[in-house]
Amino acid sequence: MMIKTMRLILPVLLLAAGAAQGGTVFLSFNQHATPNLFQTRDAVADRVSAFSLAVDQDLSTLSLLADLSYSAFHETPGLSFLSAGVGLDYLRPVGGKSAFYFALGGTGQFYRQAYAAFSSLGVNLLGAFKTYLAPSSILKLQWQGAYASFNDSLFDFLSQTASLSIDKYLPTRTTLKAEAEWGTKFFLHPFLPEPVEPLTEPVAALAAPRGPGAGTASGSGSGSGSGGGWGGRQYEGGYGFIPRYSSEGGGAGIGHVGLSLLAAQGLGDVVGLSVSALKQWTVSGQNPFLSIEEFYLVQNPSADAFSWQGHQLNARVTLNLPWEVELKSGYTYSDRNFPGVESLGLDGAPLGEVRSDIRRLFETRLEKDFRRLTVFLAYAWVDNDSNDPLFDWKSHSIMGGFEWNLPTGRKGGLS
Amino acid sequence: MIRQLALGALLAGLAAGTAAAQGGGPFYNVDKEVRIEATVREIVLEPRYKGTAPFLVLGVEESGTAKRFKVEVSPSWFFGQDVHGGEKVKVVGALVETPDGVPTIIARELQLRGETFRLRDKRGFPNWQGGPQRKRGIRRFGVL
Repeated sequence: MMIKTMRLILPVLLLAAGAAQGGTVFLSFNQHATPNLFQTRDAVADRVSAFSLAVDQDLSTLSLLADLSYSAFHETPGLSFLSAGVGLDYLRPVGGKSAFYFALGGTGQFYRQAYAAFSSLGVNLLGAFKTYLAPSSILKLQWQGAYASFNDSLFDFLSQTASLSIDKYLPTRTTLKAEAEWGTKFFLHPFLPEPVEPLTEPVAALAAPRGPGAGTASGSGSGSGSGGGWGGRQYEGGYGFIPRYSSEGGGAGIGHVGLSLLAAQGLGDVVGLSVSALKQWTVSGQNPFLSIEEFYLVQNPSADAFSWQGHQLNARVTLNLPWEVELKSGYTYSDRNFPGVESLGLDGAPLGEVRSDIRRLFETRLEKDFRRLTVFLAYAWVDNDSNDPLFDWKSHSIMGGFEWNLPTGRKGGLS
Repeated sequence: MIRQLALGALLAGLAAGTAAAQGGGPFYNVDKEVRIEATVREIVLEPRYKGTAPFLVLGVEESGTAKRFKVEVSPSWFFGQDVHGGEKVKVVGALVETPDGVPTIIARELQLRGETFRLRDKRGFPNWQGGPQRKRGIRRFGVL
């Protein structure tokens, strides 16, 4: 079905791209390989091919963006998804040193078969203000709101984030930046209705043992676990997500504040260094789900930037090498816990503590710019230590691909 | 049904986009490409082309010669990246003549803080896309 849809849409998009006088048309292909698609201790390997086509076009002072991408999972084809989005940007200068920026966007992600629960439609709004306090110092204010409706309504949410940042460039070629953020996410109806028969055991104890092949009766026979049957849906493979039951229903929210500091330093023409630290506190509510999960390359709706509190440290180096080759490498250490999320044993029984993960991530990316396209190769290595044994895992991934701008007529100042 | 609606909206957006007319302006001429090292002296948002969003334009002073240039960056960079007064930059771009007589470079590549930002491909076609909230590609680990 998805391939058929793509066959219908791609020619239209390419025709539109060809007619997009003055616009930007962008095409990319990425190929991924990971030995741990579901990011659990029970590694499941997969390869992912991702195609993306985007058009950016100015409409008077508005900028219109439309994009379409398709990600094909070779070993778990049910997880393949089509993603589409449209958006409008508007930039409004105020005086010579300030500007407002507004953006409105709509997105859709469409999954196949067993993963249809992740399919969603969403809208987001963004408003920002940026001003130069002095030539070497910038103040930024930003607000972003989002709403998404999922095929499985357990994940439906409203969220908003507000941030304030200030930075300073020093004559030593050092940039210092501080940022404060506040955010909240409200799941509209994240609970399952209470079963007719009253529970005498914790939900998790009723869940199937957590592991591949430990499927529920409703599983498709290839490894669904506690995910089987939630919200009337089930999917194969993940088995880390567990919702809660509630007789009261209603919504549940989680809110955080965060502080981050960044220092960046240029060394000559070749080397760029940056270090950053982020501390985030959950200040209201908690995650409504008993257990959450995140998949490689998949926007899993139960875990995101709102889910955790803790801290994160990052160091990054960029090398500008001869022949227009760029090498970026980074290391990120994060110590996070997930309020409301319980650490569970592999048998599904609660271990009596909040889930806590320490993650070490090394990543590197090599990029070469050619006349018509940019090619890149990237590698990432992750060691995730968790007090929930299911999420105690190590893995790596390899990605390569190219990005190509299609010519769309004249290439003057604008195009 | 939902899928059809979303695809319909996407295609309608594309159709609207392709209908837009573009204003005139200087072309990116690869034969007039130059490379300079300079210090940023001024940062402004200017309407550069009829019917488009304003562009981020840097006023720079070339190292060594103290010659002044305007560097035309892109419409969306003002929010996406932070350029500061006094910052050292390397610019690769096409030199164009403008009515005000100030030598202007349409930037293809900007290097600052040890990082290279490619604004256009080597033929001069833009790489920028949308504002700062637009993230190309699909989600990966980390920040690279």
